[in-house]
Amino acid sequence: MAANLNLKVNGQEYQIKVDPAKRLLDVLREDLGLTGTKEGCGEGECGTCSVILNGKLVNSCLVLALQADKADILTVEGLAENGKLHPLQQAFMKEGAVQCGYCTPGMLLAAKALLDSNSSPTKEEIKLAISGNICRCTGYDQIIRAVESVVKARERN
Amino acid sequence: MKETNDAVGASTPRIDAVGKLLGKTSFPADLSRPHMLYGKVLRSIHGHARIKDMHVREAEEMPGVRSVVTAKDVPGENSQGVLYTDMHVLADKEVRSVNDALAVVVADTEEIASKASKLIKVDYEVLPAVFDPETAMQEDAPHVHPELKTNVLYHLPIRRGNVEEGFEKSQVIIEDTYRTQMVDHAFLQPEAALAYQDQRGHLVINVATQYVHWDRVEIARVLGWTENRVQVVCTAVGGAFGGREDMSLQPLVALAALKTGRPVKMILNRKESFAAHSKRHPMVMSYKTGVDNKGQLIAVKAKIIGDTGAYASWAPNILRKAAIHAVGPYKCPNVEIDSYAVYTNNPFAGAMRGFGAAQPPVAMESQMDRMAEKLAMHPLTIRWRNALEEGDTTATGQFLGSSVGLKETMLQAARAAGWTIDDQTGEVNSYG
Amino acid sequence: MAKKRGQGIAAIIYGTGYGNGFPDVSSATVEIHDDGSATVHTGAVDCGQGSDTTLIQIAAQELGVSTENITLITGDTDSTPDAGTTAATRQTYASGNAVLRAVRVAKQKLLQYGASVLGVNTPEGLEMVKGVVSVKGYPQKQMSVAELAFQARFSGVRLLGEGTFVTHTTEVDPDTGQGAPYWPYAFGTQIVEVEVDTKTGKVDIIKAIASHDVGKAINPQNVRGQIAGAVAQGIGYALMEEVNLGEGRINNPNFSQYLLPTSMDMAEIEPLIVESDEPTGPYGAKGIGEPAMLPTAPAILNAIYDAVGIRLNSLPATPEKVLDLLVSKQE
Repeated sequence: MAANLNLKVNGQEYQIKVDPAKRLLDVLREDLGLTGTKEGCGEGECGTCSVILNGKLVNSCLVLALQADKADILTVEGLAENGKLHPLQQAFMKEGAVQCGYCTPGMLLAAKALLDSNSSPTKEEIKLAISGNICRCTGYDQIIRAVESVVKARERN
Repeated sequence: MKETNDAVGASTPRIDAVGKLLGKTSFPADLSRPHMLYGKVLRSIHGHARIKDMHVREAEEMPGVRSVVTAKDVPGENSQGVLYTDMHVLADKEVRSVNDALAVVVADTEEIASKASKLIKVDYEVLPAVFDPETAMQEDAPHVHPELKTNVLYHLPIRRGNVEEGFEKSQVIIEDTYRTQMVDHAFLQPEAALAYQDQRGHLVINVATQYVHWDRVEIARVLGWTENRVQVVCTAVGGAFGGREDMSLQPLVALAALKTGRPVKMILNRKESFAAHSKRHPMVMSYKTGVDNKGQLIAVKAKIIGDTGAYASWAPNILRKAAIHAVGPYKCPNVEIDSYAVYTNNPFAGAMRGFGAAQPPVAMESQMDRMAEKLAMHPLTIRWRNALEEGDTTATGQFLGSSVGLKETMLQAARAAGWTIDDQTGEVNSYG
Repeated sequence: MAKKRGQGIAAIIYGTGYGNGFPDVSSATVEIHDDGSATVHTGAVDCGQGSDTTLIQIAAQELGVSTENITLITGDTDSTPDAGTTAATRQTYASGNAVLRAVRVAKQKLLQYGASVLGVNTPEGLEMVKGVVSVKGYPQKQMSVAELAFQARFSGVRLLGEGTFVTHTTEVDPDTGQGAPYWPYAFGTQIVEVEVDTKTGKVDIIKAIASHDVGKAINPQNVRGQIAGAVAQGIGYALMEEVNLGEGRINNPNFSQYLLPTSMDMAEIEPLIVESDEPTGPYGAKGIGEPAMLPTAPAILNAIYDAVGIRLNSLPATPEKVLDLLVSKQE
């Protein structure tokens, strides 16, 4: 039995019919074709499926699609604007924060959610903000540096 | 065109970064094809059991199920393995570990495939099993592979000088046993693969792997095809660390696509991923080491036992590597190492970052500190006095002719820690 | 004092490559295009460690062009030559050498053609710097690589190169273990500072200094990234990770029970690079993937001893184990 779902994802409105048992993650990946959001554990432990839902960071594997009805969602595909990388994306590239890239979408959104609520976080606050997002490749070092560099650039401006 | 001669040595941003940052880079689970089906693997629930019977009809008859692939659907060889082909692709008579795959249910959706796989009834006769490598080495232990008549898959002795004479001359001798645990690669991207037959009739497999050409060898052997008709294309790889060297989904997804004549995608969840790939070998390492009063290493004796689980994977190479690295980066005239790879009914162990050279330092570097303490010597001093340099010879008699930067790494690390060292005597002037 | 700090050191050697005489072969091909840019084909896959970027840098350096002028195609059995496994810390060394050889072959063909056009006796009379081929000792006589490449194709000269590199090792004697089983060897030293909570047994990593001899850092930032990631895996190995088995079954096949290091578990990492210049490596490079993880766990065990005087003989050093040893030490 399909249910109606209204979503705004990356600024675009969608009206679709979905199986009520579906997770938001599945709707994003399968129904909307937004495969930038990844699945790593399916139980909210790894953060690869992180998206920003109504301004808050959530694990989209733990959100039923219908719980997101009428929500405003940002996925990794919505970060760059007009073909220009978001400052976090630029910093991740410059600081070498990307290795295998599987945690990257979730990690970017965790960092964005932090910077949206706290314009000049400390290193400890950055570490805490990304602590729900596991990275197996980088040791977090260059990711933390990347976020710090965005904070510093903001403080300069 | 930009002309330059300084590409090497520059911290150029990674070529793959932009695609990954934009969410555009495809991992295997991100790929789809028209009329695609989904496959779900059924694996053993026992460490060792005989399969008396397997009832698949109920699963086959479930609406939406297109096929149940079992051992009888393997057209080529039903075996796989990087050194020895000792693992079935699909087991039908006996299971030796919980890694063993029994069937792949192929259905219109993942959900149907998953539900149907639970309808397969397997009649097991549980058989005696062995889960501890030291027990497995005993004569009366049940054999994991009965045709081998032993569970000891590999033994390498290293002999150099005379360790007993070395211990007689030693001022300090430390003897102890160290144990390391089984760990998982836990790469963030669980195994996934997509297979289909293209317009040429060739089988194409999109998968995240460490070695496309090896995957092709294994898949072609299982299909009974020549290699040129199998195309393995690597997607982006979400971490590997050695866990994507042995076959996981490649032969299974190939068989499923071949049998159904449709594209088949398989995606493992985290729990299934834990069951599908190798692990780091747990090791038991018994060490006896001796130094003279100046801290010069005189004798190293070690026995290393690695649990490879039910399948060999790379175990002989890994336990060889453990033996070769058992003395650490040090000169030592008297060495006696015995390294063993042992089968048990545990999940199989294989390649993982370090490949057998990650475990011995846990033992040897503890021994070094303990000997230093007995001599009232700084831990860096004892290492400095034994450190390999250009022109030295290793425990296997290998001459090191170039690029031995060990002492430079010691100096650089010490400096960063605020320690100062006399590079003649190795004495450290401040600690912390 | 509930919390006590200590420092520990560990040093390692690491034989890269398959070793023991096992065939360790990498191949690559290259084609220089009419404008001087080039496409490289090799089977070597990038698992996230960065080999794509490294191989592009090597090709770019040898051709004297910028990295964006090199296209790299990898990991397709229909179109790329076999370059072995992305494992054993071997891709920079083995496939890096294969790419370097392939580029040199193509470049030699270009210079061979250039010798006839620029009127020197052999290609040795030419040098190729920053996209320009010129006569040694008389640089006024020169042509751009692009112009030469374009003309070469019109003359029926194709600028294709194939390169294969084999790492040389020997099998060890099965009775004595003697032989030359690996080449080259990487080295490293790490010093780790920990803080042990004597009430809970929890070990926190304060700082990890990791110095590694990589031969030559083709891309220093990527080398530092490999070191930091390896240290993190070493911390997981030392303190928290363990597949818990019961009768051969995995009891904790999920990330709520199989614990991995998070950002909160990480120390300040100071990755340091030593360049010892390996003569057989591409531009002197050896490798870094695996060796950086090896010293971390033993350095942590030694640091725990320095902090609170207990020796753990088994990994991982969980709070329960640490606390047990602290209690039995007091008794």
